[in-house]
Amino acid sequence: MTSIAAPPLSRAHRIGRWALQRLVGGVVVLAATATIVFFAMRLIPGDPAEAILGGPGSQTSAEALARVRAEYGLDDPLGVQYLHHLARLATGDLGTSYSLRMPVADVIGPLLVSTLVLAFSALAVAWALAVPLTLFSTRGSRVAALVGNGLELTAASLPHFWLASILIVTFSTGLGWLPPISTGGVLGLVLPTLTLAIPVAGFLAQVMRDSLLDALASPFVLASRARGAGDARVRFVHALRHAALPGVNLTAWAFGYLVSGAVVVETIFARPGLGRSLVSAVLDRDVPLVTAIVVVTAAAYVLIMIVADAAARIADPRIEERA
Amino acid sequence: MHRMSRPMIALAAVASGALILTGCTADTAPSGADGGGTFVYATGDAEPDCLDPHVGGNYPQALAGSQVIESLVSRNDDGEIVPWLATDWSVSSDGLTWDFTLRDDVTFTDGTDFDADAVAANIAHLQDPDTASSTGYLAVQKIADVETVDSDQVRFHLSQPDSALLESLSQTWVGMQSPAGIERGMDENCEQPIGTGPFVVSEWAHQDHITFTRNDDYNSAPADAKNSGPVAFDSIEWRFLPDSTSRYAALQSGDVDMIDNVQPDVLASALDDGTFTVLNAPRTGASNRIELNAGKAPFDDQRVREAFATGIDIDAAIDSLFFGTVDRSFSPLSSAEPAAYSDPSAFAFDSDHAADLLDDAGWTERDADGYRTKDGTRLSLSFPVSTAQSIPAEQSLFDQIAAGARDLGIEINIELMDLSSWYEALGANEYDLVSAPYTKVGPDVLRILYHSSGIEPAPSGYFANHSQVDLPELDEALDQASASQDDAERRELYQQAQEIILSGHYVVPLYDQLNTFLISPDVTGVRAMPTLSTPSFVDASFAS
Repeated sequence: MTSIAAPPLSRAHRIGRWALQRLVGGVVVLAATATIVFFAMRLIPGDPAEAILGGPGSQTSAEALARVRAEYGLDDPLGVQYLHHLARLATGDLGTSYSLRMPVADVIGPLLVSTLVLAFSALAVAWALAVPLTLFSTRGSRVAALVGNGLELTAASLPHFWLASILIVTFSTGLGWLPPISTGGVLGLVLPTLTLAIPVAGFLAQVMRDSLLDALASPFVLASRARGAGDARVRFVHALRHAALPGVNLTAWAFGYLVSGAVVVETIFARPGLGRSLVSAVLDRDVPLVTAIVVVTAAAYVLIMIVADAAARIADPRIEERA
Repeated sequence: MHRMSRPMIALAAVASGALILTGCTADTAPSGADGGGTFVYATGDAEPDCLDPHVGGNYPQALAGSQVIESLVSRNDDGEIVPWLATDWSVSSDGLTWDFTLRDDVTFTDGTDFDADAVAANIAHLQDPDTASSTGYLAVQKIADVETVDSDQVRFHLSQPDSALLESLSQTWVGMQSPAGIERGMDENCEQPIGTGPFVVSEWAHQDHITFTRNDDYNSAPADAKNSGPVAFDSIEWRFLPDSTSRYAALQSGDVDMIDNVQPDVLASALDDGTFTVLNAPRTGASNRIELNAGKAPFDDQRVREAFATGIDIDAAIDSLFFGTVDRSFSPLSSAEPAAYSDPSAFAFDSDHAADLLDDAGWTERDADGYRTKDGTRLSLSFPVSTAQSIPAEQSLFDQIAAGARDLGIEINIELMDLSSWYEALGANEYDLVSAPYTKVGPDVLRILYHSSGIEPAPSGYFANHSQVDLPELDEALDQASASQDDAERRELYQQAQEIILSGHYVVPLYDQLNTFLISPDVTGVRAMPTLSTPSFVDASFAS
């Protein structure tokens, strides 16, 4: 990026510039997200006023509709509504949910926490599953490699709704160990977490296995073996650390995957959260709530990408030089 | 005690290790020696936006609201109106003045007296445009004035006679709420409406559950209930559990005591299993039916309607897709309505006769794809389907009907859409076939669905007469029935109306609006209200 003629920058300076770029980029992404959401919500057919009053079995009167249109500003031209929408968001005002009749800011906090708890539990469990799987599949035996590879591929390609059903049938109705619904207790979090974690574990293990094999074949492993390090030490301390780097990068991507998976998992396990709310908010044409959920999710994603990038720079300073 | 295998222990340890950080507490199990305790109900219906059933007015609101809010009158299993918060009533000979005597010993759960002023405040709340009531608003539309004669005497002055008034008043959407509660404003009243019912709303954790706790002073059960005092359950945990399979799994694992919206596949396996009590309570009002848009070609031709209604083996399709759990309906009304009239002969399957009818109607040519044409136009029907209103088994049924229609040379284009898009398609008259549920107590639903005045779309584009039936003799029968003070005459008129609708093939009835509950064998005494078929726990308890 830097031209040859530019004077060399100090490290602090470079970090500052990097952070600024990332911050500006993030804001642009968020504004674009808010814009796309607004127009997507208004381009799909259907009258939000009907949805505000409606729901299956409800018979709407013309007076009520006119009232709702005026109250929510749905009579204004679309451009005016859009500018209002952006102006409000820019001042941090998320508006009032059409369907819940509550300030969106009050609604979204607990939902965000609930989904983040689920996503981070799933990430932790995914790592806890992936590391042993990787170590097993790289033991050197062909059978272990085949079995490991098979497990990874299967896990990675399992659809959430199917996995959830199998887990419920096995552990709830079959064995009776765990509740099939997420009722707020720790036990209720186990099945939704596993549903999300198993496919991610498959991805992680696959990526780590490749780089672990690379690492095991590289000179530094040979060198440590020559210094007399045992096999376990070589694998756990030296090679695995090396192999984990692509896994760390993948984790940031996995977060996005987990949030989209939450849509299905939160519905099946009846767990409050952003994913489940997003579905009902879209069906309700609840523009403020949909916008807030998408923007908050995008903000979390942007933040995690920045953190992952920073972590990668710290772990491997060569990235900075290449930039 | 189950024995865990070693890998399982490792897995569980890893999982709980990761989860311990969340710091949640485990739930306590329901129990009670006196038949009380916490009853857990899992609903598959949508979560209401507002618990006050006056606002808007849809079925999910009636389900939850009926635990808290009671009506002036109710209806018994025979379809007769029985006393509830009103003990007695009479109507003037011109049908325009109704006198109600109210119970004088009932208070709302906030301590406000239930009296004539409270009734007046409730009707005013329903008629206030700020309430944005739609269902309840229609029900009390003909009440022009409410006169409080005495603290326990209230008089309604009507703008027109309304023989359906008592049936309308029995609905939760027109239920009686504390005037003091209403005065708190919509936001607060939506979160926690205050009624005279067996329970009070103590907590609403959105997207998760509502907690109803027992009203210890309860004394106002409807006349046909067995219990007249406080209920046995200490509280109800009312959980929102949208996924059908998870709901059944939660019942099987004992995490919940009762589920609603039991889907046909689940019902079939529950009937097989035999563990759970099945409560089948078809919703009142209309049956589930396909409405044929007679307002435009090709269904403006009676022969084409009859060909569609008789040329496809719908019975067989329903039987296979619903695992034999539902009965075919041949009435525009729910079988829960005593006034329902059925005419199976109008829908007897005969594909040869149907083909002849289509030939007669001029759809004789065939195009390259094998569909019938007339003057170069294909016999093609548009069928918007709301995924919010048609369950998956019903969507499959429509697919099978489309396949059957193809054999007749009719093309059916099914379009799955969400509720708002579906309203839009209807408002734009872009449909030939449509299936729309309509729940209301009493046969007056026929007037809403088939009177020609229901064709005129409101400014919103919404209208209820989807068949666009426009027949003077039908309008007359419905108007007369609405004005009649004589039960036998009223019944006769509604039968005439149904005969006209069925013989004209304006609708193809499918089955009742499905409303099946599964209940744990540990629970007794749950019943469905004969009004809106919502579950009532007034007589219920845990078996000891």
